[in-house]
Amino acid sequence: MRNHTSPRLTRRHFLAASTAVSMATLASDLFCAPTASKTPSPDLEKLGAVALAEAKKLKATYADIRIVRLRGQNIGLRLSPDRASGKTLSVPNVSENSSFGFGIRVIVNGAWGFASSPLVTKEEIARVAGEAVVIAKANATIQPKPIQLAPVKAYRDRWETPHERDPFAVPIEEKLELLRKAAEEIKKNPKVFGSTAALNFRSEDKYFASTENSSIQQLILQIYGNLDASAVDRAAGVSRNRNYVPTQASAGWEYVPEMNLVENAQRIREEVVEHLTAPAVKPGRKDLILMPNHLMLTVHESVAHPTELDRSLGYEANYAGTSYITPATIGKRIASDHCTFIGDRTSPRALGTAAYDDDGVKCSDFTIIDKGIFRNFQTTREQAHLVGDKESHGCSQADSWATVPFQRMPNVYLKAGPSETTLESLIAGIDDGVLIDGRGSYSIDQQRYNFQFGGDAFWEIKGGKKGGMISQVAYQGRTPDFWQACDGTAGPAYWRQYGTTGDAKGEPTQINSISHGCSPTRFRQINVLVTD
Amino acid sequence: MFTREEAQKIARKVVGYSTFPECQVSVTASEQAYTRFANNGITTASLALRQNVSITVTREGKTGSYAADDLDDASLKDAVKKAEDLANLAPPNSERLPALGPQTYPRTFDLDDRTAKARAPEMIPHVKTIIDIAVKQKLVAAGLIERTHRVTGIANKTGLFGFHEAADSQLTTTVRMSDGSSSGWAGQPSTRIAEIDSAKLGAVAAEKCAKWKNPRKLDPGNYTVVLEPTAAADIVRLIEGGFSARNTDEGRTFLSKRGGGTLLGEKIFPEFVTLRSDPFDPRQPSSPWSGDLLPAKAVTWVDKGVVANLAYDRYWATKTGKEPTGGGGGRGGGGGAGGGGSWQMEGSEASLDSLIAGVERGLLITHFWYIRGVNQQTLQQTGLTRDGVFLIENGKITTPVMNFRFLESPVRLLKNTTKIGQAIRVRGLEGGMMIAPAIVATDFPLPSISDAI
Repeated sequence: MRNHTSPRLTRRHFLAASTAVSMATLASDLFCAPTASKTPSPDLEKLGAVALAEAKKLKATYADIRIVRLRGQNIGLRLSPDRASGKTLSVPNVSENSSFGFGIRVIVNGAWGFASSPLVTKEEIARVAGEAVVIAKANATIQPKPIQLAPVKAYRDRWETPHERDPFAVPIEEKLELLRKAAEEIKKNPKVFGSTAALNFRSEDKYFASTENSSIQQLILQIYGNLDASAVDRAAGVSRNRNYVPTQASAGWEYVPEMNLVENAQRIREEVVEHLTAPAVKPGRKDLILMPNHLMLTVHESVAHPTELDRSLGYEANYAGTSYITPATIGKRIASDHCTFIGDRTSPRALGTAAYDDDGVKCSDFTIIDKGIFRNFQTTREQAHLVGDKESHGCSQADSWATVPFQRMPNVYLKAGPSETTLESLIAGIDDGVLIDGRGSYSIDQQRYNFQFGGDAFWEIKGGKKGGMISQVAYQGRTPDFWQACDGTAGPAYWRQYGTTGDAKGEPTQINSISHGCSPTRFRQINVLVTD
Repeated sequence: MFTREEAQKIARKVVGYSTFPECQVSVTASEQAYTRFANNGITTASLALRQNVSITVTREGKTGSYAADDLDDASLKDAVKKAEDLANLAPPNSERLPALGPQTYPRTFDLDDRTAKARAPEMIPHVKTIIDIAVKQKLVAAGLIERTHRVTGIANKTGLFGFHEAADSQLTTTVRMSDGSSSGWAGQPSTRIAEIDSAKLGAVAAEKCAKWKNPRKLDPGNYTVVLEPTAAADIVRLIEGGFSARNTDEGRTFLSKRGGGTLLGEKIFPEFVTLRSDPFDPRQPSSPWSGDLLPAKAVTWVDKGVVANLAYDRYWATKTGKEPTGGGGGRGGGGGAGGGGSWQMEGSEASLDSLIAGVERGLLITHFWYIRGVNQQTLQQTGLTRDGVFLIENGKITTPVMNFRFLESPVRLLKNTTKIGQAIRVRGLEGGMMIAPAIVATDFPLPSISDAI
C-alpha cells in the first residue's frame, strides 16, 4: 500500500477566496439555461476530459466524472392559533439552497475508488482523480473478484425534463398566494386546529463523462406539494391529522394548477373533523381496497426493494438488508396473475425519470414481474453479469456529486387492470372491508417478508358499499401471500402515479426519489389491526 | 477545514454584506471517509469533502433563508442577496422573536485528532480483521467503518459568535451464514477511532450468527423481553418528541392531560427510570448550542420516574413565561426535547448476563429494524427484531427463535420495565444514537412473526 498524500482540501481550497470566478457564477455559466443544443456544454466537456485523462495516466482501467449542481426552493405556510387570543397566527417559511461539486469514480487493479470535491477547477479535478486512484489501490488489497462492467454504448447527448415553465423562474409571491389560499381554506372550519401548506421545487443539473466515450448533460426538475390539517379534542385526549399530497412530479410549473390545492383543502378540512370522531376499526381478516396514493408505498417496499439485485446478493446485508427473492426465484410465481410490474425510468412525469443513469446507460423499461411470475432484477453495469445478463437495466444512481453511484430502484409500476374493472366494481365485491387512502406508518423487515402499513384515512366497506370514516387502521402481511391475495386492479382510467422523495439505501445512507403508479387494487382477507 | 478564526472571518463577512437589521449565518465544513464491505470484500470507499453556508435575514418580521456550498466572496455576496430577496417577498412571521444577543457557549469536549484524520490505512485493518474472522468460520461479513470531521461557526449581527469542531466514528458489521440461514450483528460508535475494537465486534457478530441458526417459530403474543442496549435505545430514544412543551400544552402529546394540563411533576415510570440529555458527556458530546442558538445545557427530563421538565424553545417560553430549556444537539425545544444526539438513560451495575439470569421465560433481542411511528400522540411504534432473537428459560438462553414484529410505545415500554443494566453508547441501524442500558420489560407486544433472516 502506498503512502497517502494529505487528503484534505487546503484552507485556500475551502475558503476559495482567491478564485477568479465565483463558484456560484461558474455553476450558472456551466449549466446555463437550456438551449436547443443536443450536445453538452463545451466547458463541461473540457472539465470532464481533465478527470478522464488524469485517471488514465494513473492506470485506471475505467473512470467517470459527474459534475452536479443541485438547487432547491421550499415555500411553506403554517397557520395555528395564538395561545392567548386564539387569533390565527401565520408562520411562513421561504428558503432556497444550492450545492455544486464533482465526484470521480475509477477502477484500478479491479477495485473501485471514489473521491469528490466542491471546488470545480481543472487543478482540483486532477488532484481528486489522484485521490480516487489511491483509494482504489487500497481497496484492491481486499477485493475477492475484479469489478466487471457490462458493455455500454457511447452517447453524446443533452436532455432535460420536458417542461414549459421553469418553476424556479415563477415569482415567489405567486407561490405564496396559492399556499395562503389553501391554508386559509383549511382553517375555515373552526374545528380545525392548524393547517400547513407547502410547495417544494428541486432541480439537478448533471454532467457525466466516462472513459467509455460518453458525454451527457441532463437537467431534472421536480415539484412536490403538501397540505395538512390537524384537529384536537382535548376532552377526549385525541388529536388527528388529514393530508393531501398531490402527485409528486418531474415537471415544470404548468403542473402546479393540476394539483388543485384549494379544492383539496376544502375536502381535507371536512375529513380531518370526521377523522377526529371516527370509530376505531374492528380488527380481523378483511378485504382491502388500496388507493394509488397508498398502494404506491406498498409497491415500493414489497416489490421494488426486494427485486434489487445488490440486496438479493448480500451487498446491502449490513443495513438495508437482503431479499426474500433470489436468482433462483426467476421464473417462479410470487404474486397473482393480476400483478404485472414494470421497472421504467422513462415514465412521463415520474420522479425517477431521466435519459441516462449514472453509469451512462440509456434508461429504458423492463418487466420485473409478469402476471405474477418473477422475471428480472434491477441491475447496474457491474451487476448484470451476476445474473447472466449482457446489459444493465440502467439503475445506477447517486444522490449528490459527493456520493458513490450504486443500484437504486427505477420507477416501478403496477400495470392497470382491464378497462371494465372500476373502483365501484371492486368495492361491490366486498362484504366486509376497508378502503385505505394516503400514506401512513410503514415498516417492513430486512428481507421484505413481514410488513405493516397504515394510511392517512380509512373508510369502512360493508355489503359492497363504501360507508363512513373509521380510524386506527393498520394491516400486516407476508409479501408473497399478500400479492397472491390480489384479485383485481382497476382499469387504465384509474391509474395514478405517486412519488416518494425519501427512499433511503446504502451506507452512508443515500436518498432517492422515484414514482410508483397503480390503480385502486383489491386484496382478500388481509390481517387488519387496530392501533393507538 | 477552517479554524475558529477563519470561521469567524467568513461569518463576519457574510453578516457585513447584509443590509438587513438581522442576519444570522452558519458556516460548516465537513469531511467524511469510509470503507464499506460485503461478501467478504471491500465494495466501496470514499473521501467526501463538503462545505456550506446558511444565511437567514429578517426585516420587519419578514424572513428569508438561503444555503449554498460556495464560500468565495462573490458567492457569499450573491447568497446574502438571494436571502434578502426572499425575505422581501415573504409575509411577516407572527411568531418571530428578536435576534439573540452575544452568548457564552460552553466547551463540550476535546476533539480527537486521530479520529478526525483517519483514512484507509486506519480503516482497512479493521475490515480485514472482521473478514478474517468470518472466513475462518466459513461465514460472510458485511459492514461499514466511517469517520466524520465537522467544523461549524455561527454568528449574527448582535455580535453573537460560536464555533464547534467535532469528530466521530463507527464500525458496524453483519455476519451471515453463506446459505443465508443465520445472521449476527455488532456495532460500536466512538468519538475515538482508536477505541474501536474490531476483533471483539467480529467475534460477537460471528457468535450470534452461529447461535441463531435454525430459529424456532414461537407464537406471536406478549413476552417478557431483555433488550440489549442497542435494542433498548432503538425504542426509548423515540420518547424525546413527546417532551415538547408547546405540543403538550396544545393537547397533542402523551404528557397532555385529558381536558387540559400536563403530567409535569407526576410519577409515570418506575423509580429507576431517569432520562437526561447531556451535551457534555465525553462518550456522546453534541453541539454547544441549541436549535435557537441558546447555550446547551444538561437537562433531566425524567427523574427517578417523575416527569421533571418539558422542552421550551424561545418562542413558547416567551408565550408562557417560562425559561427556554436550551437543550444541546442543534435542535430547539419546539419540536422535541432539545437534547437531540445527547440523550441518555441512566443504567445500573447489573451485567447483561445477570439480567438474563433473572428471567424465567422471555426473549433476548439484539436490536430492531425499520422502526416507524404509528401514533404521534401516544408514540406507538412498529418495527422488527433482527440479527439474533433467543428464548430465555429459567435464566438461561436455550433456543434461537424467529424474528417478530413489535407494536409498542416507549412510554408503555418504560412503564413495564422491571430491571436495567449497564449503560453504554450505542447507534441504531437507522442512525439514532443514545447512551442506554439493557432493559428487562414485561408484556412487550410481538403481534406477528417475520420469516426474515
